Amino acid sequence: MILINIDSLSTTELQYIAQQEGVKSWKDLDREELIDALEEAFGEQDDENLQTIKGKINRNRYCNSLTSYRGNSHPVNGLPGTESLPDSYHDTSIHLLLRDPQWAFAYWSFSSHLLEEIVDDEGVPLGSFFLRVSQTPLGGGEESAYDITIDTDDQQWNINLPQMGASYAVDLCWRDKRGEEQSLARSNSVEVAQPYWVGKAGRLGDDLSLFCIHFSSLVTREGEIIDNAILRELAQQMSGGVL
Amino acid sequence: MNTAKVSLILNAHLPFVRHPEYPRFLEEDWLFESISESYLPLLRMCNRLAEDKVPYVFTISLSPSLCTMLKDPVLAERYTQYLERHIELGEKEVKRCAAEQPEFSEMATYYLEQARLNFHDFVEHYKSNILDGFKDLEERGYLELATTAATHAFLPLYKEYPSATNAQVEIGVQSFLTTFGHLPKGFWLPECGYYPGLEDVLRSHGIGWFQTASQAMLLSSDKVENGVYRPVYCHNGVAAFPRDFKGTSLVWSNESGYPTDKVYREFYRDIGYDLPMEYIGPYIHEPQVRVFTGFKYWAVTGHTDQKVPYVRSLAQRRVVDHAKNFLYMLKKRSLTLSNTLEETPFFTLAFDAELFGHWWFEGVWWLEEVIRLIAKSEDTVRLTTPSLFLEGDEKLQTVQPAFSSWGHGGYSAVWLDGANAWSYRHIHKAIERMEELAERFGDQVSLKQRFLNQAAREVLLAMASDWPFMMYNKSSSEYAHKRIIDHLSNFNVVYSNMCKNAVNTEWLVKAEKRNLIFADIDYNIFNPKH
Repeated sequence: MILINIDSLSTTELQYIAQQEGVKSWKDLDREELIDALEEAFGEQDDENLQTIKGKINRNRYCNSLTSYRGNSHPVNGLPGTESLPDSYHDTSIHLLLRDPQWAFAYWSFSSHLLEEIVDDEGVPLGSFFLRVSQTPLGGGEESAYDITIDTDDQQWNINLPQMGASYAVDLCWRDKRGEEQSLARSNSVEVAQPYWVGKAGRLGDDLSLFCIHFSSLVTREGEIIDNAILRELAQQMSGGVL
Repeated sequence: MNTAKVSLILNAHLPFVRHPEYPRFLEEDWLFESISESYLPLLRMCNRLAEDKVPYVFTISLSPSLCTMLKDPVLAERYTQYLERHIELGEKEVKRCAAEQPEFSEMATYYLEQARLNFHDFVEHYKSNILDGFKDLEERGYLELATTAATHAFLPLYKEYPSATNAQVEIGVQSFLTTFGHLPKGFWLPECGYYPGLEDVLRSHGIGWFQTASQAMLLSSDKVENGVYRPVYCHNGVAAFPRDFKGTSLVWSNESGYPTDKVYREFYRDIGYDLPMEYIGPYIHEPQVRVFTGFKYWAVTGHTDQKVPYVRSLAQRRVVDHAKNFLYMLKKRSLTLSNTLEETPFFTLAFDAELFGHWWFEGVWWLEEVIRLIAKSEDTVRLTTPSLFLEGDEKLQTVQPAFSSWGHGGYSAVWLDGANAWSYRHIHKAIERMEELAERFGDQVSLKQRFLNQAAREVLLAMASDWPFMMYNKSSSEYAHKRIIDHLSNFNVVYSNMCKNAVNTEWLVKAEKRNLIFADIDYNIFNPKH
């Protein structure tokens, strides 16, 4: 991925972007003033948001946004007979996607029939929804679980996966006012394997051959480790917390 | 002396972008820029090396969506017009620079020559189909061609949908067969996205090897004896080639990679943005939308807007230095590793093809120099391909590679973040409904068959990894968003009509004309019972 460097942009280009952003006096501004004006146009005043501004300039630079140059009233045409996508689909189901070994992403939907059933005549919910995250060790063992409270309007959630070496599934659950619980739908399960070297960082760090073969191959010439949370943790353990 | 083996794998891929309903379409320039700046220069490089009798061999994966565009007559005609505009602009630039900016004259002339050369090669030599060039090089033994997923889907996010992952792989293989006349042995995993079990899908379609992200070995639940320095077999016998992060980062790193050298050409300074509208207007997009023209005269220089003019001879000398440095680093590591590894080290250098020439202007020159240097040092380093290596019946360890990708964080985070996670609810539903249609309306003929085939195409096009990446990267994100919505809405037209046992003929004719990809697709591929 190659990101834009704002310093590389010419003054002409900054003028162009300012013009696109509706900065009225763009022709009369010098380079610094143009950057200030763009910051203002993007609603970002402090230096910490430079990255955001770069992102917005990047978008404007390529002008690939359909509405910005094809006009709001003339977006790229769809085909005849197409309709907008629904916000959700009316079945009660839940799906789980593995994002990384620490996090999964769950999305769900409720059937309209179910949503009618769970409220009283005045629309007040007769209970509450929650997610039950179940964890089962891959090598076998006892299942454990934790709950996440959700609102009726919620449709998705990032799910923390506390441990590696386990499989996870999520139940979409309902608890009525008497405290009785039922699972409305269960997701597919996702597995997070335990890497061989996790827990053996000392051995990896102490043996030069092992270190050269396995770890230094994932580090750049300048000492930058490949972008990965587990590898960073291994590096920390090997360095005794120095890295 | 042990000879280190190096496998260079280039992934040539672009999303399917084809809008004949517009006279010109900005995003089609992605293809035209890649042909002009990467694909044709790479073909010329390969042929030059062959003419000079330099022994070499490497791998290129050509994605089915890219192959479809490269074979498309409408896009070929538009590319020819693109070249004609570039030649006209080049002629104007040569005159303008001679009069106003003589320090840019050499590069203006060079760009004009390149545009004319591209025109000649594309129109006269390849008769508007550069795939023949790759095929010819493969037949002469210089290239191993590989395939990838039908629309370059990030497969780990479709693990729960075996019919869809199978369709991505099967159509990738079939498309390769149609284009190149034989089955592929290798499969480029889009974004190096791997999950345990994917090898079973690959094997069922005759695939012998794939590449993985570097950390797929260290994060394996098995103890991988040789790290990334040897391929491994998965438990079903398909080989995995882990990418050499250390070697590729010499080129790929945004901060310190060779392309960041100050004498190289600055990518972001282009006359499309710098020259007055009245001059550049005819060569950019309407209405006055500034775009890259490819005419760039400045060097990287540093983190400043005060760039110095680009000097090609200086850059060419630096290319030689960087090629020597690359080989030196490779040899040095090989020597160090030969003392610790039980086997000869194997380096898998996997890159996007468009890095060379398009993103990194000098990249093709560098690659050519590296190949020439390797040829001269055959005693220590030798080029090979995964298939040639596997034919050697080398002893390889059998392990389970780890879930991984080459994206930020090393897993699925790039393709599943706040900007794009919304899409999976809809794409997964479309896959479920496509499965339902394939089961309920199996083996249809005539209009219904065409209708269902188009539905399958729309589902596959919505799955492309490019759309979530663009949304994550905030580049062309509105276009990417629109494309996903369009393909899913198109699919829903078929679904709702088929539920009423009807065919929307007007929609079908227009959809087939617009999304003209995978002509031989059979929607029954989505039937989960097949």
